Amino acid sequence: MTFGEYIREHREALKSEDRRFSVRQVAQRIGVEPAYLSKIERGDVAPPSEAKIRALAEELGEDPDVLLAMAGKVSTDLQEIIRKRPQLFADLIRQLKSAPDHALLRIARDVRDGDW
Amino acid sequence: MIELMNNQLTFRFPEVHKKAVCSIDFQRTLRIPDDNREYPLPPGLGRFPVEHVDDFADKLPDTWRTHGGVFIPMYQSEALWINFSGDYPCAVKIAAGKINAVSGEPWNNGLSADPQDYAVIPEQPWLDGFNVSEDFIRQFVAMPLGEGFTAEEQITGKAEHGGLQIIVYPMKHDVYVEHFERTVEADMDYLDMPMFSRTVCESAAPDMGLAPGGLMRQEIYEDEYGIDAWDQDNGFRCFIHLANSEQYLAITGHQPPHTPPTAKDYTSAGLPWFDYYSDSKALVGSDTLGKLTSVAAKVIEKGKGLLPDNEPVHPKTVKIISKGNVVRDGEF
Repeated sequence: MTFGEYIREHREALKSEDRRFSVRQVAQRIGVEPAYLSKIERGDVAPPSEAKIRALAEELGEDPDVLLAMAGKVSTDLQEIIRKRPQLFADLIRQLKSAPDHALLRIARDVRDGDW
Repeated sequence: MIELMNNQLTFRFPEVHKKAVCSIDFQRTLRIPDDNREYPLPPGLGRFPVEHVDDFADKLPDTWRTHGGVFIPMYQSEALWINFSGDYPCAVKIAAGKINAVSGEPWNNGLSADPQDYAVIPEQPWLDGFNVSEDFIRQFVAMPLGEGFTAEEQITGKAEHGGLQIIVYPMKHDVYVEHFERTVEADMDYLDMPMFSRTVCESAAPDMGLAPGGLMRQEIYEDEYGIDAWDQDNGFRCFIHLANSEQYLAITGHQPPHTPPTAKDYTSAGLPWFDYYSDSKALVGSDTLGKLTSVAAKVIEKGKGLLPDNEPVHPKTVKIISKGNVVRDGEF
């Protein structure tokens, strides 16, 4: 499924229960022209900027990293992390390519520090 | 980052050095008699279960969610000790109710050299309590917050934080290379560490806090590297909440561990206590912590009779352990 198809499918699903998810209203809320959003959904234009994808993700209740990946983009914060140690992270990601989800989740899980 | 696996917190600092790893777990133990006699080290009876706060966020107090971190179940009057492991030198600062357990000072994130308010691992293999005088600590004993027993309440007059707080700083890369790199042979590329083969992590209110219990012979060692050896730009910290064991079951659906044996039962069974020897120089005790009233004395002060299961014991089997042989497992 392409980025545009995914957006359209999820937006239409939300619209079936709430009219605020029409192309026009969603476009307004994320700050683009309705015609542009329509073109994105049809795949007539390339996916929008990272900022607009993040706005779309928030609007549609989707994970921004998932939408960015579908759009062929890597979020700026991840790019910064990789740029600091490119070889190490390239090796790491390649090594983890075939690891099962539960193993990946265990690595991704750290103890959160809060406010105290 | 801090990982929780096998009921152990592992602090990794790959940005500092690939070997910069230290692990901390919380050992169940018996409560030594709180009678102002001096006792040797009690055994470790296995790790306390440790849970992510975020896994049970909807059942925990708002303040716990704000603090983040983890929680462990403890019975009232149960004792614990903190077990350190790892070869890469790290400075570890520990507080109970945000009162530093080494210096008695209120919590802050940084390290202090005068007075030294942290322990250095691996020189310090464990910490069993509050640093009340040179060569002696008062055992960490869990008590409900709000009843005036905890070190926090005795020092600040408030029952605000409870729990345990830990921050770990690794040795600076350059200092490590200078001291160890040419002599340490072990090749431990952290990417090759058995991240996938480890066993799966096993899986409140009112809060509990730690109060000073019985007197134990234990030294907290002076930092032989000096405060500048520690990379204070790369620390990780963790709030360890203490959940009353009865509420732990309601929160997690998991049974808490059984209550530990009493010191009397353990000793009567002929099981070993421990003494640790090191030639490192010990810190002096904290005046503030030295003035704390122990749990048993507080019980009497409050007119509540005597602390139960507090009869003196006379350990007959005391195993001597030293650096390189720091296992103090008990069997019961």
